[in-house]
Parts: sequence; structure tokens; C-alpha cells
Amino acid sequence: MASNSSARGTRIARFLIPRVFQFAFVIWATYTVAFLLLNLLPGDPLIAALSVKGGDATPTDPEALRELRARYGLDGTLGERYLGNGIAALTGDLGVSIATGQGVGDMIARALPNTVVIAVLALLIGVVTSVLLTFAAYVAKWDWARTTLLQIPPLGVAVPAFFSGLVLVSIFAYGLGWLPSSGVRNPLSVVLPSITLAMPVGAIFFQVFSAAVLEARASGYVFTATAKGLPPRTVFLRHVLRNALMPSITILGLLIGYLAGGTAVVESVFSRDGIGRLTVDAVLARDANVVLGVVLVVAVVYSIVNLVVDLSYGVIDPRSRARLSAGAVRRARAKAVVER
Amino acid sequence: MIRRVLSRPGMIVAALIVFVAVALMLAPNLFATYDPLTGEAGDRLLPPSPEHWFGTDHLGRDLYSRVVHGAFLSLATAGLAVLVGVVIGALVGLLSGFIGGAVDFVTMRVVDVVIAVPSVLLSLIVVAGLGFGPVSVAIGVGLGAAGSFARVTRSQVVRVRNAEYVEAARTLGVRWPAILTRHVFPNSARPVIALAALEIGTAVLAVSALSFLGFGAPPPAPEWGALVSAGRDYLATAWWLSVLPGAVILIVVLAVNRLARAIGGEK
Repeated sequence: MASNSSARGTRIARFLIPRVFQFAFVIWATYTVAFLLLNLLPGDPLIAALSVKGGDATPTDPEALRELRARYGLDGTLGERYLGNGIAALTGDLGVSIATGQGVGDMIARALPNTVVIAVLALLIGVVTSVLLTFAAYVAKWDWARTTLLQIPPLGVAVPAFFSGLVLVSIFAYGLGWLPSSGVRNPLSVVLPSITLAMPVGAIFFQVFSAAVLEARASGYVFTATAKGLPPRTVFLRHVLRNALMPSITILGLLIGYLAGGTAVVESVFSRDGIGRLTVDAVLARDANVVLGVVLVVAVVYSIVNLVVDLSYGVIDPRSRARLSAGAVRRARAKAVVER
Repeated sequence: MIRRVLSRPGMIVAALIVFVAVALMLAPNLFATYDPLTGEAGDRLLPPSPEHWFGTDHLGRDLYSRVVHGAFLSLATAGLAVLVGVVIGALVGLLSGFIGGAVDFVTMRVVDVVIAVPSVLLSLIVVAGLGFGPVSVAIGVGLGAAGSFARVTRSQVVRVRNAEYVEAARTLGVRWPAILTRHVFPNSARPVIALAALEIGTAVLAVSALSFLGFGAPPPAPEWGALVSAGRDYLATAWWLSVLPGAVILIVVLAVNRLARAIGGEK
């Protein structure tokens, strides 16, 4: 008995350790890439930010500049800054914003809830709509109806969020007056941003989900189930959906990245405070500290979600417990579907 | 060939739209009906009419003419972005796949990370580091796409590297730069070109988004994304100022994507 449980412990460790290692690697590498891009591209981050902030009143006195560099953690050599910022970030200290003088961690913590709300709602809307449309295509009797149902939703990727968002605002906020056009105070203000964000995200999810459903539809077990006389709805729920679950969960993990990018535009369209708008404002102010902080937080969230996704494979699909690289392979496959 | 094209009306429409977009880009003065930068003070915020097809903006400028003149900035920036992505990505992928071994392993892990970072975020980082303007935007968007190009090129190079004709060339004593440029590159180019075609639509979207956010060309210049953004303040009273340029972007992107999928070999 004891030997049995220790063998199981070894198996779980062999499953877990590479994933935890990968988790740390992605965060470290993202930090490094972002740090290098912000610091190696021509232009001094401090001077750039100060000239945006102060206009002509930019201090040029070397002594004053040195003091400012020390305050914003921009002093020392490139290597010292890289290590210093990295170690500080590990302890949860993301530095001070050059533009506002506030702690970057505080700014992100204040903005995060607003973004999480619309991101989660957008995912929900996108997933539910995808499942409903795919089911409609699955049971559609005519080929043309199925083709239309399957070909229209992917076009959502091509709709610019600033366009769909503004169309929704002019119809539902200014035209009909049902919903607020901007801000975060009114609880109803989450509706339009979530729908806008759901369009591209849902379109990507739909492609992967419907492809998986059609693959399952053509399989032997679905043929058997139908031949047994099960109604289509039961076949869909019990056989097709379960087999489409793996690729769907994989793409959900990847979509966290798309969501993080998408909020930049959506939150600007709807003048909502959140991570995306924080990033855009930081770039407008050339505030390298805030940009680096946001990138780190996004990388951590992305990695945690994908770690959970990797771990969920073992729970959902017993076959994948044995294969160490299953997560990476599946992610690559899901991504290939989207890129085509 | 011709019959195959004619049997697909969607393709013809898409090709026409792309043709018009390129024409707008190369010869805007043939299409524009007014000067894009000077307006009539008395003609502010007019709705669309036969006189002003897309209406006029808050300075009395003809919006249709501004969209026409904006085609060059928006599409050229997107083209430059794809070029940046292809050149950097193909170079990295070519060398990584050709050299192989540890260099290949490390390079591809870095590429994995660049792909994992959301491309909008990557573009924003580059713009934050480089400053604003169409060229920074193009470099930012291009870097965001370079990862996929590197991966596709590498996979092709690895496939071609062991082909018989490469081995034959090596046996004949051809030097490796010549093998790389004359044998490996031409034979691995096709999927890269297909991806580049698909990437154009994405780049038009990304460039417009960044210009909407205010990182593109400075104000009087008529960039498509910036036009949408400028119309935002008048959305309640003059919706067409934002919606029409936005619709132009959407139509061009859909048409470009349709053609790109045809180039990629999909029916």
C-alpha cells in the first residue's frame, strides 16, 4: 500500500514539476523581453516620460535628473536595473509610476476588478453564444443553414472593437437611451463593453469549439449513439460536448492573452477605468514603469490560468495523465486552428 | 482558372474592394472630392449628402476625402508592419532551423514567449519605448507578428534542410550561404507568403487600433483609426463621423482576409 501511494506521488510530481518550471519560465522570459524592449530601444525612458509630462519645463539639471532617476528606480546600469526591478517584483514591489508618482502595484490593484468583470462576462457571453450557434448548426437539417451558421461567426475576428463598440453606443446609449455610454459607476455600464469584447473572443472560441464538435460528430461513437436511437440533444450533451471539452478549455487559456490586449481598446472606447486603459495612458505618458508592471501582472495571470488548464487535463481526460507534454501539444494545436 | 474565380462572387467583390483600396492609396487625388486638410467653417458637422458623401467633421472638412487620403497612411503602415514581421521572423526562423541544435532550442523558446505575449501588449511596449508615429506603430505591430513567421519559417526550413536536393548541393561543394539563399529559402517560402497575406488584414486592424488610441500620426493627418477616434466626441449628434470610417476599415479587412485565404489555398 505504501509503495503504491509513493509511486502515485512520483507520478504526480513528474506531471507537476515541468509545468511549474514552465510557469516560472514564461513569467521570467516575458519580464526580460519587455524590459529589454523598453530599455534597449533608442530613447531614455525618464527623459521621454518627463517631456510628455512637463512639456518645456523638463528639468535638465544633471543633479535633479539623478535624483529623479533614483526615485523612479531608473538609476544604475542596465544589468543592475534588470536585477533590481526583477527582485523587487518578486517581493511584490512594482516600483513607482513616473507620470503620477503613485505605486504601480496600487494602480494595478485599483484597476484590476473593473477589467476582470468585463473579461469574465465577455468570456461567458462568447462561450454561451458559441455553444448555442454550434448546436443550431449541429441539428440544422439543410446544408446551407449549417454552412451559414458555421461561417458567419468567425468573421467577428475582423470587426475592430473600436467600431463595434461605437456602433453599440450610438444605438443603445444615444439612440435608445437604454444603457450608459461610459464610466464604471452604473452597474449596467458593464453590458456594452462586455458585448464588444465578447465579439472577437467569442469568434476565436467558436472556431475551435465548432471544429471540435464537427470532428466528434463524424466519429464512430456518435454514429453508434445515434444508431441506438438517442435523440440529438442527448448525443450532443453526453457524447459530443464531452469530447469537445479539451480543445475548448485549451483555447480558453489562450484567450486570456487576447482579453488582456482587447481591453486596451474596449476600455478606451467606453472610458472605463481598468487595466487596458491604464496601459494606454501609461504608453501615452511614456511611463515605462507602469507598462512593465502591467506586462508582469498579465504574464502572471496568463501563466496561472494556463497552469490550471494544464492541471485540468489530468482530471478531464485520464489518457493525458501519462503524457508529460500534452499541455504544450494541445495548446499548439488549438492555436493552429485559430491562425488558419 | 477564370471560371473558378467567376463561380465565387464573394471573391470578385473582395478583389474589387482590395483593388479600390490600393487605388485610393496610390492615387487619392483621383477619388477625393475636397481637400482633406482644409474645411469650410460654415459646413461643420453636415450629415452625409450627395455633396459630402460621408458628411463633414467639426472643422467642416469633407470626411469622404479624409478617408480617401487616409488610405495611404493606414495601409502603408500595415504593409510596413507585415514587412517588418516577415523579415525579422523569416531571418530568425531560417537561421534557427538551419543551424539547429542548442541555438535552435533557445531561439524557439524565446519565440514561444514572444507569441504568448498578447500582440497588442507587445505593440504597446514597443510604442512606449520608441515613441509615437506610424513607423513605431509599424515596428510594434510587426514585432507582434514576427513570432508566428519565425515558427512557420523554421518548420519549413527543418523540412527542407534534409531534402535530397540540399544534400546533393552540399555533396557538390556548394557553400552554405548559397544553399540557404538558393535552395532552402525558395523552397520554404510558400507557407510564409500565405501567412503574410493573412497577416495583412490583422495588421490593418492592429494599426487602426493603435492609431485610434492616439499612437499614430499626429492630428491633422487623416489616419483611419484616428478618424474614428476624432468622431467619438460627436457620437450623440453625428454618428457617421465614427461609424463610416470604421465601416471602411471593417470592409477592407474582410476583403483582404477573403483574398488571403484564397492565396493560402482554401476554397
